[in-house]
Amino acid sequence: MAWLIEQLRKPRWSPYAAGVLLGIVSVLALLISDQLLGASGTFENLAGIIGGWFSKGISDSMYWQYIMPAAITWQVILVIGVFFGALISSMLSGTFKWRFIPDQEWRKNRGDGTAKRWSIAFIGGFILEYGAGIAGGCTSGLAISGTLQLAPAGFLFIVGMFASGIVTSIIIHGRGWRA
Amino acid sequence: MSSYLLALIFGFGFGWALDKAGLGQYGKIANVFRFKDLTVLKFMMTALCVAMIGVFGLRELGLIELTKVNETYLFGNLVGGAVFGIGMALAGF
Repeated sequence: MAWLIEQLRKPRWSPYAAGVLLGIVSVLALLISDQLLGASGTFENLAGIIGGWFSKGISDSMYWQYIMPAAITWQVILVIGVFFGALISSMLSGTFKWRFIPDQEWRKNRGDGTAKRWSIAFIGGFILEYGAGIAGGCTSGLAISGTLQLAPAGFLFIVGMFASGIVTSIIIHGRGWRA
Repeated sequence: MSSYLLALIFGFGFGWALDKAGLGQYGKIANVFRFKDLTVLKFMMTALCVAMIGVFGLRELGLIELTKVNETYLFGNLVGGAVFGIGMALAGF
């Protein structure tokens, strides 16, 4: 028991241990709820709801009628759970902290300005979600949940993601970047 | 209602695993594309191995039916992944 509490309060687990936990959670979600873990769809669900407040045409469009329902779906609730899981994990381990820019890599390389970080994060997030929309999932919904069912879609997504991620990283991080 | 409760619990486990692996940090995501920190890959590939064994083992036993296999669109998955990768490297999420 003391061992368990110590593990729960540890700031970091081996990535292999954390990976085993995610693997088990994925299997249980399929076994018990017949659902896949995914995150990016949530933003599309919520965007459909918010868009619907302004125009009926948006929430009634083909996309939100048939592909991504403009509603509070199982996945939206899942993402709320993700938020609390990460929050409580970091609070228990004492690593919870308000941050406006990433402490380590960003500050060393790009300085303290929040505007720069926030605008790049916004643009990056926009592109990321757009890509997830085209592909039909994100790192969790497609790369993990697709691949674990041996769906070719998941493998293709990982190939695309790493190919462009590596190139983008070389361009934006360059030689002078200090890790 | 109980299915929403389960969603919360599964989400909790997912978020917990992400935090314990340190994937809430910008550096972990930014550095995987530079091959300086492979935490993301170690985490993802372990999860995949465990889940594949579990899912296909249970399917052999007839306990799981894979009804929601992601549809494959060669072009869409590849290009979507490529666009996604640009955003991921920029944002570090």
